[in-house]
Amino acid sequence: MREARLARLILVAGLTVMMGACGGEGGASREAGPWMLEASLAEAGSGIPFCEEVTARVSAFMSQFEGQMPPSERHGGAVVVASIGEIPDGMNNHVSQDYTASQHQSFVNLMTLVTYDENQIAMPYLAESWEVSDDASEITFHIRDDVYWHDGELTDAYDVAYTFKRAIDPETAFPNAAYWTHYDQGPDGVEVVDSFTVKFRMRPHADYIDPWRATAIMPEHLLGDVPSTELRQHPYGTVCPVGNGPFIFVEHREAASWTFQANPAFPAGLGGRPYVDRYVYRVITEQTTLLTELLTGGLDVYIRPMPDQAQAVIDSDAVDLLQYPFRSYVLVGWNARRPQLADKRVRQALTRGTNRQEIVDALLQGYGTVANGSVPPFHWAYDPSIGRDAMSYDQDAARALLDAAGWVDRDGDGVRENAEGVRLAISIKYNHGNDMRQDIAEIMQAQLADIGVEVTPTVVEWGTLLDQIGQSPRDFDGVVMGWVVEYKLDDTDLFHSRNISATYAWSGTQRPDIDRFLDELPLVVDREEAKPLWSQYQELLVDEQPYTFFFFSDRLDGINKRLRGVEMDARGEWLNIKDWWIPADLR
Amino acid sequence: MTTFIVRRLLGAIPLVLGIATIIFFVVNLAPGDPADRFSSPSMSPEAREQIRVNLGLDQPIHIRYVRWLGALAQGDLGVSFSRNRPVTDIIQELLPNTLLLSFTAIGVAFVLGILLGILQAVRQYSLLDSIASIVGLFFYSMPSFWLALMMVLLFSLFASVWGWPIYFPASDIQSIDYAFLSPFEKVRDRLWHLTLPATSLALVLAAGIARYTRASMLEEIRQDFVRTARAKGLSERVVIFKHTLRNALIPVITLVGLYLPFLFSGTVFIETVFAWPGMGKLVVDAILQRDYPIIMGGSLVFAMMVVVGNLVADVLYAVVDPRIRYD
Amino acid sequence: MTDRLGPRRSRLALSALLPGLPQLVVGRWGVGGLGLTVWVAFLAVLLTRWARFAAGWGGPLDHQIASLTVVAGLLGTWGWSMFDVSRQAELERSGISQWKLAAEAFKKNRIAVIGAVVIVWVYLIALVTPLIAPYDPAMQGPLMGRLVAPSGEFLLGTDHLSRDVFSRMMYGARISLSIGFVAVGISVTIGTLLGAMAGYLGGWIDAVVMRFVDMVISFPRLVLLIAIVALFDTQSIFLIMAVLGFTQWPGTARIVRGEVLSLREQEFVEATRALGFSRRRIILRHVIPNVLAPVIVTATLGIGNVIVLEAGLSFLGLGLQPPTPSWGSMVADGRDFLLNAWWISTFPGLAIVLTVVAFNLVGDGLRDALDPRLRA
Repeated sequence: MREARLARLILVAGLTVMMGACGGEGGASREAGPWMLEASLAEAGSGIPFCEEVTARVSAFMSQFEGQMPPSERHGGAVVVASIGEIPDGMNNHVSQDYTASQHQSFVNLMTLVTYDENQIAMPYLAESWEVSDDASEITFHIRDDVYWHDGELTDAYDVAYTFKRAIDPETAFPNAAYWTHYDQGPDGVEVVDSFTVKFRMRPHADYIDPWRATAIMPEHLLGDVPSTELRQHPYGTVCPVGNGPFIFVEHREAASWTFQANPAFPAGLGGRPYVDRYVYRVITEQTTLLTELLTGGLDVYIRPMPDQAQAVIDSDAVDLLQYPFRSYVLVGWNARRPQLADKRVRQALTRGTNRQEIVDALLQGYGTVANGSVPPFHWAYDPSIGRDAMSYDQDAARALLDAAGWVDRDGDGVRENAEGVRLAISIKYNHGNDMRQDIAEIMQAQLADIGVEVTPTVVEWGTLLDQIGQSPRDFDGVVMGWVVEYKLDDTDLFHSRNISATYAWSGTQRPDIDRFLDELPLVVDREEAKPLWSQYQELLVDEQPYTFFFFSDRLDGINKRLRGVEMDARGEWLNIKDWWIPADLR
Repeated sequence: MTTFIVRRLLGAIPLVLGIATIIFFVVNLAPGDPADRFSSPSMSPEAREQIRVNLGLDQPIHIRYVRWLGALAQGDLGVSFSRNRPVTDIIQELLPNTLLLSFTAIGVAFVLGILLGILQAVRQYSLLDSIASIVGLFFYSMPSFWLALMMVLLFSLFASVWGWPIYFPASDIQSIDYAFLSPFEKVRDRLWHLTLPATSLALVLAAGIARYTRASMLEEIRQDFVRTARAKGLSERVVIFKHTLRNALIPVITLVGLYLPFLFSGTVFIETVFAWPGMGKLVVDAILQRDYPIIMGGSLVFAMMVVVGNLVADVLYAVVDPRIRYD
Repeated sequence: MTDRLGPRRSRLALSALLPGLPQLVVGRWGVGGLGLTVWVAFLAVLLTRWARFAAGWGGPLDHQIASLTVVAGLLGTWGWSMFDVSRQAELERSGISQWKLAAEAFKKNRIAVIGAVVIVWVYLIALVTPLIAPYDPAMQGPLMGRLVAPSGEFLLGTDHLSRDVFSRMMYGARISLSIGFVAVGISVTIGTLLGAMAGYLGGWIDAVVMRFVDMVISFPRLVLLIAIVALFDTQSIFLIMAVLGFTQWPGTARIVRGEVLSLREQEFVEATRALGFSRRRIILRHVIPNVLAPVIVTATLGIGNVIVLEAGLSFLGLGLQPPTPSWGSMVADGRDFLLNAWWISTFPGLAIVLTVVAFNLVGDGLRDALDPRLRA
């Protein structure tokens, strides 16, 4: 009898499981049909007056497109992208500096004036064309006249002027305000010539176009009345954004997902509505779970699998691994204010005593390039020969450098001392939750012990770490950090003597010859002319070694094979999302 | 009974406030500055200070505390630093997810645990008893994130890659086309997504409940009235289910209240592994990002859950045991 | 008394050679097995690791402790066995105390005894690790040859920085066990003292203490834990131990208070009062010893909890400073390699499970043994 009860129990459990199995088929495919505005949009931000108003307007405007049939075979289907992080500032360009956020602003929900092609040459996007005055002191943009905000307003020159004014307003605290250093920030800086023409004044400099590649234009008619200090916490960003880009915002589930829908009003001149019907961005923090979702077909794109997961992606029949050089490098910054690290020979020795190539080969599985300076490999100013030999792994050379600098093991304990008896013992700090940086600190501890340097890896919470390395009294010896390089290369904040007490002068090294380059380089407009100057500057950096530049890691992405037309490079993963498509039988 | 509940809830207010106050000062006095998160290399010190002003961080701590209390009195928990939304909105969105997960797990755990406990008690010292004890302890002793990862690998990845007849999704609470499903499909989709996380959580709990039930049953079985019942010639089934079980379950039922707070810490790990958008993970992320308003709001919710849990335990006690009366 | 090994002298001789064996033969397999295995294993350590053993005396503290443990283990086992064998008859005739009754009851619980043996062994291994670990836990081999699968050279394989998992696990045992031990030590001390005070003194002290207990119990403990560990500078092992300890005590306090409340009215306590002893003396000397039984049980179960909790903290990235390994941090760090190098996190995970199960078995066994009503 008891057995019978147990059997019933098992039966019930089995039924539950089978029900689960059926559930899987429910979600797989939907017929491609006419375009319909998704119902979830109406619920975005209900209870918030601002949101209720704008979503009503979006619904009203978009309803005219309902029933339109997809223009081609390629149109239809949903694409799912996932990564470990939220889009923290959402679609609010006024306050954001996060990479994923800026990608979505530039390529998904909003538009920038220009985009780059693969050679970092500016191409028209929201701006149809532009011209620069002969003395390079004025730039005039002609805006497209067929780009609508998703609520039906036309995007015009006033929006561009508004976005610029917000960015330079100190009360906004726009994180990337330095984009505009060479632009005239006075009352005459911007002039709206007519509804679709806007003119900016500036000091002549290189890379004047770059800020317009990075800054998404924001809707003045929605945000013009909001006080600058309240922009950050305004519901526009994360609850009910209204863009003008190829995808309409539909829904944001906190810490879970963002859903967007193809914008049927996207100008035909820019390719018309995107191929996919829907685009979903998902947040999954655990990387094993991410990989599982990719391999089981739950995801189309896994942004940045770990190098150690690359093989599993390659081995799978269902997915491909995309690899390309990227703009970020990992560094170990040395605090030259510390007596142990003040001598550049010591810093050179620390670099030469670390086998960076081995770390790239093993920890990055070869998906990266040893760095010897701040210019990334894909950049036009990159010269691979710089520092290659001077900073190669050589323990004997490192020992010789330390000997020459007066650090000798005088008491036979395996650690070097200087004449005053100070031990060459340093701590290397890194932040929580970043395994790669922890590994680097631990590897340096092991490898530098061989040349008589005692390293203590120290983990610090991120906010505290930023404080310790960025604020006086700069409580650190070495720190493992990452740095994302903008196309507009500018190390002024990092290495210029003028900024010695500013937040990002971690290292605190000062050299007049480096200062001179940092002042002159941004003003050289011609790339051919600038390249040798960049090389000279990089040579100086190699000699000074404010950092041990570690490596430029390649960007990896896992892509489901059903997804076609994907193009990704240093410009970002979402670069051509409007051209991604899925064959009809795989939707 | 109602007056008892009201009195208990009122009495809990200073308790909850005290907890919130302590957490407020712990996080606010910790080194580091939330504004650092928003700073960038090109940002001037003035801009940085402006961010602090915009977030209200320029005020001294006692002013901030008074302001926070004042806002709390009006039901306002402030605006999250990292998510740029009112904390109450975020909690409203995420708390139901956590409750769904917790209550499902508790339900499954109690059914499973009690059944197992009865079986073990009835067959004390049998092979089944020993095996169930050991297996139960095994789950009970496993770090829950590890168990969760094993579930992901086994029932999601391998199940799918090796073509098992069943497979479960490894993340989130719903499929991406949830909005287009019929009501019935929605329920099914939810359950399908709930299976792995709820099971992971329930396995840990069930082991404890089974142990408790077993002990409680054994104690009851030794009582005189059970012996009397047996002597009357009642069948073993009636003795166990009619006479023993009801009494034995009294202490077990009260565990519901005691497990509530535990669940909130347990869900942190489960939510992280299964990308389940819930409170536990929200608060942990908030701590790491120094998102003070969310830390405070989340702690308040957790503290209230404990109070409610204890209350539920007491009330249940009164319901199942007629000897206890609260007046 | 039946004696299968004949006269006492032969048992003594046997004990001198292989301590533990005489006890094993007469069916006391728990202590006998433990004594014998310790004797044999430590002798083996002494023979095979003589160089490290000898060098240990002048080395760092953990080396000295390891060498000392080996010596103490050998002498202790031998001495205990000889004493035990020679005094066996008298011991059996000696008086029957509560503790002895409990010990007898505990010994009958086979599975609990196994748990106890496992725990003793885990502690012993942790103590002598510097002598027996095959590699330095922080030593990295060539990075290109990392993630070696378990083999003869690396028993449990190597991790992502080419370090020996087996050695790291042995060193990790020390950390995990100490965290559990110290944190529970703190919590039990506080809990017992406060609980006994509240229960015995009553009145406003009781009210205040119990309010405080309510508050600490209602505290979202994990939030506080993470906040303190994450926000206050670097994570030292002492901070983690202290925070775990200072948030764990209310359970103990409640139990102790309950026990004391019923004890207070018992005659022997009234007698001490009549004798005019100070309250401090009554609480410390007469009340607390009589509530130790449930405290021991909670403590045993608590150690297991703390070990698991520490693993959880590591998972959230709030574990210990590397390269110090703890089992928790090894599981957490190795989880990203579950697919291509399962051994990194699986073995420490099993170690956690094994140890925590053992603690729980012993805890359950102790509860049954110490509670007269549950003695079969």
